[in-house]
This record gives sequence, C-alpha cells and structure tokens, in this order.
Amino acid sequence: MSTLDPASGARGGLSRGLRVRPGDLIFRLLTLAAAVSVVALVVMIAYEVLKQAWPAIQEYGLAFIWGDVWDPIKGVFGAWTFIVGTIVSASFAILVAAPLSIAIALFLTEIAPKWLSGPIATLVELLAAIPSVVLGLWGILVLGPVLESTIEPWLIKWFGWIPLFSGSPSQVGMLNAILILTIMIIPIVSAITRELFLRVPKELKEGALGLGTTRWEAIRGVVIPYCGPGIVAAIILGTGRAVGEAIAVSQVIGNGTSISRSIYAPANTLAAKIANSYQGASTKLEGESLLYLALILLVLALITNMAAQVVIRRAEKRGVL
Amino acid sequence: MFTRHVNRWKLGALGILAISAVVAGVLASAASPASHRTAATKITGAGSSFVFPLVSTWIPVVGSALGIDLTYASVGSGAGIAQITARTVDFGASDAPLTADQFSACKGCVQIPWALAATSIPYNLPGLKKQVKLTGPVIANIYLGTITQWNDPQIQKLNPGLTLPSTKITPVYRSDNSGTSYNFTDYLSTVSPAWKSKIGVGVNANWPTGVGGKGSSGVAGVVSHTEGAIGYVDVAYALSNKFQVASVKNKAGVFAQPGLRGIAAAAATIKKVPANNELHIVDPPASQKLAYPICTFTYVILPTSSSKAADLRKLVFWALTKGQAYGPKLLFVPIPKVVLASSEKTLKQVQS
Repeated sequence: MSTLDPASGARGGLSRGLRVRPGDLIFRLLTLAAAVSVVALVVMIAYEVLKQAWPAIQEYGLAFIWGDVWDPIKGVFGAWTFIVGTIVSASFAILVAAPLSIAIALFLTEIAPKWLSGPIATLVELLAAIPSVVLGLWGILVLGPVLESTIEPWLIKWFGWIPLFSGSPSQVGMLNAILILTIMIIPIVSAITRELFLRVPKELKEGALGLGTTRWEAIRGVVIPYCGPGIVAAIILGTGRAVGEAIAVSQVIGNGTSISRSIYAPANTLAAKIANSYQGASTKLEGESLLYLALILLVLALITNMAAQVVIRRAEKRGVL
Repeated sequence: MFTRHVNRWKLGALGILAISAVVAGVLASAASPASHRTAATKITGAGSSFVFPLVSTWIPVVGSALGIDLTYASVGSGAGIAQITARTVDFGASDAPLTADQFSACKGCVQIPWALAATSIPYNLPGLKKQVKLTGPVIANIYLGTITQWNDPQIQKLNPGLTLPSTKITPVYRSDNSGTSYNFTDYLSTVSPAWKSKIGVGVNANWPTGVGGKGSSGVAGVVSHTEGAIGYVDVAYALSNKFQVASVKNKAGVFAQPGLRGIAAAAATIKKVPANNELHIVDPPASQKLAYPICTFTYVILPTSSSKAADLRKLVFWALTKGQAYGPKLLFVPIPKVVLASSEKTLKQVQS
C-alpha cells in the first residue's frame, strides 16, 4: 500500500506537467485506430465479396439482376425472384410498422400517464431483444396456423378481388415473413421516434395548445412536422433491418423458387437464399452466383443507409435536428 | 477510502487467483484420463446429416475398440464435401455422389459407399386410418404441380378402399442443398420423363411448386403443421417423429414399405459396382418383389493421401464390416457383399 500510493501520485503529477499528455495521445491513437479499422473492415468485406462474385459477374453481367430462374441443376442463375422478395417483404413490413411505431411513440410521450409509459416503453424495446431465430419459431408454430385458419381466409373474403390478396391460405409465405419483420422493426422505429418526440420543446406544444388547438391538432401541426425528417430516417433504419434479416425470414417465408402474385404464397429473399444455399453449393458457378446475390444485398443495404444519411443531413441543415 | 479500495483490489485479486487455481485443477484432472488413453488418434469428419445417427453410435465403440477418437459434425452433405476439399477435416460424408466438378476440386479424393438407407414420403392427412399408396409418376406430378388435391383421380385410383379428402396438397422440399433431395430427384427423374426434362437430378432444384423447409427438421416441421402436406425425409427421421409415410409402388408392381426388408431388397439388385463407386438403386429391377424404390447409398469421402491414412483405413474398414451391425436399429441396412468388396478395394488407395 505504502509503496503504491506515492508512485501513482508521482505518475499523475508528471503527466499533468507535460504539454502533450501521453494518455491523451494514446487515447487519440486508439480511437483513430478503432475508427479506421471499421472503415477498413467494410472496404475489405466489399472487396472480398466483389472478388469472389467476379466470375459470376463476368458470366452474367447485369442480366443476372433480372434473371428470374435459379436452377442449380441446369446451371442457370438469376437474382430477380430474390430481389423482388426482399423489396416486397421489407416495404410491406415498414408500411405496417411505421404507423404503428409512430402511434406507440405518440402514446408514450403525449398521451400515456408517466406510470404507464415507462413500463410500456421497456416492453416494446424488449421486443428487440428477442433473437430472430426464436421469433422465426414463433412464426412457424403460432403465427402460421393463425394466419392460415383465420386471418388469410378473412382477407381473401373481403379483399380477394385485389390480385395481391387472392390465392389460397398458407402457414408459411410472404405474409408471415412481413409480419415477423414488422415485429422486428417496431422496437427500432418506435424507440427512435419516441426520443424525437421527447425533444420537441415544451413551449412549442404549449403555444399551440394556448392558441386553442386540440391535442390531436397540436400533434399533427407541431410535433410531427418538427420531427418529420427524423421519423423518415428512423423508418429507413428499420427498412435496413428488414432487408438484411436472413434466419427468421428463411424460417417463415416458405423458400419459394418463383415470384407469386399472392401475398400468402411462398417467396424468398436475398438474405434467406444465401443463408439456405451457401453451404454445399453444387457447382463453382452456384457459389459465385450466391456471392453475386450477396453483393446485390450489400448495395441495397448501402442505398437504404445512405438515404437515411441524406435525409438526416438535410434536416440538420434546416436546423430541425 | 483509498486503502479500503486497495484492500478490495487485493481481495479481488486473491479471489481470482483462487478461482483460477481451482478451475485449473479441475481441468487438469478432467484432462488426465484422456491423456491416459495413450495417444488416441484424433479423426474428424463432417457432412451428411442422414448418416449422423449411425456415426454417432460408432463413436464410443471405435474409441475403445480401435483407439480412435472420432468426432463428426453433422453439417450437411454439401458442407462435408466443401470441408474435405479444403482438408479441414480428415474425411467428408455425403449422400450424393461427387459431381465431376467436385471430384476435380477435391484433388485426389475417393468416395466409398458405407451406409444404406431410404427416403420416405411422409404426409399429413389426419382423418385417414389406412396408409396412402403412391407411385413414382404420381409423386412427380404432385411436385410438378399438376396434381393439386388429394382426391385427384390419379391418387384415388391407387387407393380404392380410401375416401381421400379434397384437401389441397402442399408439397414440401428441402430449401438447403441436401443429399436427400438428390435421392428424391434421382428417383423422380428415373420414373417420370416430365420430371427428368423439366427439373432433373441435384442436391437442390428449381422446384415448380410447394414450400421449402431448411433441413430434415424444417421439412418435418412444415409437414406436421400443414394439413394436406407431403414431403420427403430419411426414413429414420420419419419414424422417430411418428409420421405416416406412404407406400410406393416398385417395378414389380408391389406397394413397398420403406423398412429394412424393402431397403435390403433394393440393395440386393446390385450386381456390379462402377470404378468411381457411384451407385444408383432408385427404382430397382422387378426381380426383387419387396424392393422399396427410393433408397440410397451414402458415401464417405477420403483423401488418397493423408498423414492419418493408416487410422482412416482402420476406421472405415471397421465401419464397413463390424459397424454395419449397428445400422438396423436406425433403419440402415448392412451394405451388400459386392459393394463391400469394391469399397475395400478402394480403401487401399488411401495412403500416407
């Protein structure tokens, strides 16, 4: 003890006396290294995927993107089925999740009493903690049978005249995947929008109420416009999650091989196809084509994330965030 | 304050020391019996999940009988081929024979048939008491999407005593690459010209209709939850999950069962083994009345040059001979003599 105390004291004094503190320098270098290594990692992953996919890119060119057959026996590969599946599942999921999440956030910040909003917020965020494979199991065991016996027949009865909602009920398929993705997105979007709503200055809201608006008019006229770009960014982040999810989707989407007009029918997504087929690709070209799929997925994810960045930056310029 | 912190520090450090000493002691005592088994050779394999139940019953036996410490990862046939190609394991296992591409990539590999079993056709029709009878062409038409209901005349004709429901048929296939799919598409291509020209044979296919499940468990999951579903899984899996399975008509005109007798009968039709050991016993000749038509050999893939060649030869020879006795309980049938002879000959190519 007695030897420790003066030593540590001296060290502290020494560094305090210097202009460039070594600790600061080390800290700066460490953070720099962390930042650079992440960038380097992304670049290396992209390079590796591109390199591995290159033979397939040379074989098919861009026609791979709209080729709608994936036939490992005849050696014909195309990405269209999976691209459409990815876009449809992610956009429908966000279409359902966005209004729900905003409603949850509004309820928690504007309407619910304090004693209620705390526990509910925690519970909603707990949804994000459920491992996707468990959610997928729930999709198979619980959601699937309910969809087939109740929800889908009802949809067919009332909305069957729309081609998308016609067809025959199925436990696994696009609709099941959409709902599972919706559950995955809700905690992300609602947590971000809740934070945004909390940051709306009290004066603005009170001013609106003071002018005689109802609570709903204040929300519509002040709260939502104030947070608009932030909400858009939150939605795009949620979309990114939906685009990349592989395991839960492959459990419930039915791993179809073609594009179906019915939302109940099996479909497939880029991430799910890669997860399913990468192990044991039967030919070299199939393996390379799977990496081409990975490249497309990477680009899709990059586009959604960049869109979020642009929206946020524009909002920052306008001084909203 | 400060001294108290230091004390706590010291206590903590002591505690950690004490715990790590105990852990080290436990680990050392746990490790010592293993090191007693004087230099057991470690052999690792990976691949086919189809053969996994059989291999796992072998593991303790070869440990004591041959002094081989065997580990096997049931990662699927395709992954097994990939791993032996990369030489990250000592042997691979696959239910589908290697393709020409895979043989050349594996650079000096041999495949040896070392187990024999069947692919069964489970279905989910809760109301039915009696077993459904099917033929190859009818199964092909179901998977091609030209038969869509259980009371289709083509099925009804095969099951005169049975009132089949009008339930929609949901064909279920493997979404991952699998040897079971190879066996199934091999059979359908043999019995249905339409299947052969439109789809073909492979570990995965461009399935025209139906739902994909990942792994045997994925297929089993969809079949057991979907009324009207039909699938294909290895027979041991179907039995352990208490599925109803269809009997399938063979060349002799008999509706055969995917049991030991049916599989043994199918294997008995083999007269000659080709040089690369690739065997097809789907839809075997009519000479065997009871032959079940969807059977397959499953292969162990060995490198012809290995530092563990002697032990690999010992292990596989044991598996081909004494190891076969562990099969019937799991619905694997001992491999026929003519195949055994060829397998033993090929095994000699494995050298260090």
